Formats: sequence, C-alpha cells, structure tokens
Amino acid sequence: MSEPPVAAVNPPEIQKPKFVSLPLAGRESFGASYHVLTFDHPEGSGALPGQFAMVRGAEWGESPLLPRPMSYLSGGDSPSILIKVLGEGTARMARAEPGERYFLLGPLGRPWRPPTPGRRPLLVGGGVGIAPLLFFCRWLVERGFSPLSLYGGRSEHDLPLSRELSKISDLQVTTEDGSGGARGRVTDVLEKLLQPDMEVYTCGPHRMMALVADICDRHDIVCEASLETPMACGYGVCLGCAVPTTEGRFLYACVEGPCVDARRVDWRPGAGAFDRAEDAACPSA
Amino acid sequence: MSQRVKIGALELKNPVLTASGCFGYGLEYDDFFDVAELGAICTKGLSLLPRPGSPPERICETAAGMLNAIGLANVGVEAFCREKLPTLRRRGIGVVANIFASNVEDFVAIACRLEQESGISAVELNVSCPNVKAGGIEFGRDPELCARVTSAVRGATSLPLWVKMSPEAGDLVQVARACQDAGADAITAINTIRGMAIDPQSRKLRLANSTGGLSGPALKPIALRMVWELASSIDIPVIGIGGIATAGDAIEFLLAGATAVQVGTANFSDPCAALKVARGIRAYCEARGLSASALVGQAK
Repeated sequence: MSEPPVAAVNPPEIQKPKFVSLPLAGRESFGASYHVLTFDHPEGSGALPGQFAMVRGAEWGESPLLPRPMSYLSGGDSPSILIKVLGEGTARMARAEPGERYFLLGPLGRPWRPPTPGRRPLLVGGGVGIAPLLFFCRWLVERGFSPLSLYGGRSEHDLPLSRELSKISDLQVTTEDGSGGARGRVTDVLEKLLQPDMEVYTCGPHRMMALVADICDRHDIVCEASLETPMACGYGVCLGCAVPTTEGRFLYACVEGPCVDARRVDWRPGAGAFDRAEDAACPSA
Repeated sequence: MSQRVKIGALELKNPVLTASGCFGYGLEYDDFFDVAELGAICTKGLSLLPRPGSPPERICETAAGMLNAIGLANVGVEAFCREKLPTLRRRGIGVVANIFASNVEDFVAIACRLEQESGISAVELNVSCPNVKAGGIEFGRDPELCARVTSAVRGATSLPLWVKMSPEAGDLVQVARACQDAGADAITAINTIRGMAIDPQSRKLRLANSTGGLSGPALKPIALRMVWELASSIDIPVIGIGGIATAGDAIEFLLAGATAVQVGTANFSDPCAALKVARGIRAYCEARGLSASALVGQAK
C-alpha cells in the first residue's frame, strides 16, 4: 500500500447554496429499495463530499410538503444522490423518470474534514450511509490517499454501491445474515482493523455510528461522523435537526454538521433532555 | 399600484411578513435574497434568557403539513439586541420582535430591553406557543390573562404591540377583544394547532414532546375562517397567518380581512417563498389596478 500524503490537504472552499430547479438526468436502481438519482446541473452544483442538498419534486404540490435532506453522492455538473425508500417522498423519487424536475437547495452544511497529514482514512459505512463516503473516497483517491473502507448492511441487498467502493478502496464487507462478506456488523470488524495511524469517517444508522464513535474514542482515534436527522429547512432556521452534545447543549446538524467530530455528540438514546430552565445552555443558531 | 399597508401607526412597504420561528433572525437568508424587500420579518420568539429548546425528535411531517415542538430555542433578547439587530438595522429590514415569557414580569422585562433599541417596528406577544409548559397557550386561552400581559407590556413600551392568537382560545373573538381593550395595536392569527403523530411500527410517539404544533397548508382553511371572524368583530387590524405558501393564499387572507400576512412553513421548502408571495401580490394588484390595501376585507 502506498504511503498517505504527508503534506496538509487544504480544506476546500465552501460554495454558497442556491435554490434551483433541475431535470432528472437518470435513475439507476439497486433492487427495489435503493436508487441513484442523477441531475443535470450545467452551472455546477459546487458540492463537496459530506455536504447535502434539500431535494423535493417540483410537482409534489402540498404533500409531501417538505424537501428531503440528501447527501451528495457526486457533485460537479451531474450531482447525484442515493435514496432508500422509506416514506412517501423517497417512494416518489424511486419512481421518478428522466426529465422530471426537482428543486435542489444546496450545497448545504459542513463537508468532511480532510485527513491529517500522514494519517490513513478509514471509511465506515452502513446501508444508504455509503453516499457521502463514496463521494469522499473518490476525492481522497484523487489527492493521493489510499482509503480503507468497511461497509455493512442487513443483507447483501443493503449494500448498494459496494462494487463502486471496492474499485477505489481496500474494502471489507459485512452482512448481518451472512449473505455477503463476513457475517456480523462493521463494528465487529472495526476493532481489529484499527491502527494508530488511522482516521475514521463514518455514516450510517445512529446505533452503528454510536458504536463506531465509542470504539474510536477508546482507541484515541479521530472520528468524523455524518449526522442524519429530520430536517425541514436545511439552513439553520427550523431548528428541527437538534443533536445533543456532550457539552450539554444542542448542535444543529444542518449548519454545524452534517460532518462533525464524533466526540462532540452525545450518542446515548434519549440524550438531550437538558434542564429546560431558562438559564440553561444557549443554542448557537 | 401601492403595496404599502398601515397596521395602526406602523406603515410597511408591502403586506408580506415572515412568521416567527420560520425565518430565524432574518440573517440566515443572505445567500438567497434581499430580505429588506419584505414588509418585515418576525423574529424567532425571544425570551429573557437563552433557551436550549426541546430534545429531538422535534419535527415530523404530516399530510400537507408538519408538527413541531422546538421548545422556543432562542438566543435570548440580550444576544438578539447585541448580535443580530445591528445588522438587521443596517440593512433596512423591518423587524417585529416576537417575545415569549412564562410570567408577566418577564414579558415586561423583555419589552423594556427592546425599548432601548432603535430599528424595531413592533413587538409581537407570543401567548400561544403550544410546546412549553408555562406561559404560552396558557395565557392565550384566557381573555383575562391575555389582557393582563397585553396591558403590562403596553405600559412598558411605546412600540406598536401585536398579540399572536392561539386557535385553541375557546372564544377567539373574546380573547382578541380583551387584547384590543388592553392596548394591543393588532392581532396576529393564528399560531399552530396542537397535534400528534405515532409510528405504527415502533408504536412510539414521533415527537419527544409528545405533541407539537401543526403548521402548513393543512391549517389554511381553519386560519382563514378565524381571520375572517376576527376581522369582522374587532376594530384593530388582523395579520393573517396559517398555511400561506403562494400569493393566491395570501390574497385570500387579505380578502378575508387581514391587513397583512405572515409566511411561515413555506420558507422551509423554498427560502424565497415570502419574496415570491410579495411579488405575486404586486402582480395581482397591478393587473387589476388596485392597491394592496384595497383588497382588505373585499371577499363577497
């Protein structure tokens, strides 16, 4: 394996978000549940790995009402997203045909932080959480890094894009039912894989990321997590995306994340029931 | 055709405002449009001291609407005056300070703090938040309590004073009249209606606060009816709010008797929604040779 770059990689410049109507260029399906939607954006999306867009069908009318926060799977003039069908909005996206118009508000949020010089990036993804990691993996490879990756799902059907990831990184796969890769979860493998010179980037279900964050913390390894929460606006106004922090306050995933230092997050279920007296901590938004 | 409207002594450049809690402090829109083009903004509800807000989950989408239980997370009136207001003032943005407290004394203290500042167009009393234990809707349901808060704040500020109504006030007209008699300059109607949602798979309530305020298009017919009833029953202006997403929606509220309107949840799906509403009303007026104020109460 080649050595990681030792020179610092400057954090890329963040572009201002724009609210645009874009035609769907294509939809690629990975089974019934997972679909990649690619849009045509000639002026360029300006998206960086880890950033997200608020996405809504131009013809949705009054229901579903809200746009969906979606991590970019790619940027440039062909921005794409990976969706998993969970509700009405994603079900409509899964049926979308080329030419259909979508509103995209983006790029939004903080992208992944570039690795520290001399460190090896290890990407740990679960299911649909692969989107911002695959985008980041491409970005890293272009800059001379040789990322390792660990990708898990319930079954082999929950590993869309694992082939793409395997082409550009040293990939290990896990499935809970053993239908692909090692039987078990990514967190079963992570502990054995971790080396002191690594930095971890993770995106997936909350429980998975909580375990990844804990393992990294115990090994004193820097871990960045891409947070997923319900969001109505995506730009710091609705205050719906509050995530409890270890400092006893909330961070807002849309503007302070989605990519954050995992040590800032209070991962415990039900966290955030702070003292609601008026003299409690102040939100930053 | 003139888009200017008068709400008591206060004149706005057009009848479109943004609703409290749906537009932050107005400074979050720099990337999208010049907010000074709007009639005014209503700030996120300001309390005497900063508030962290409720634990997640705080929001949940419903049919043609959404529930929220943010818990009035805000920076507090002092930080607002020091960190947000100077920029708003410099940019010529009309600012309505929405304020919230759990007792009359704190309402007065917030109003007194705002009184020291220039660049505030009006104070809007939030006596109708459905998501806090003390104050909020407790005040808004009771004409006497509402009048007491209104009267106390009236005595503390020379700024135009608006009271934001809860749709859950038993007799909305009675509560509005009590506020009018206590010195309110306008009534904002309506705040959200309490609702809830449950995940049938996990059987869990969707919101950590159990219930939340319903907003969005689902609310519009109810809000429109309430504005229409209020406008024909009280002497002070009514500011219409509830599910307004388009110029057509806003014009309905003006025709029902609202002097101005507030755009709320629509800002979430399109940050330029309020601007589009303002421009749409102007186009409607120009096509008919009417001023915006000539539409008020003209429903047949």
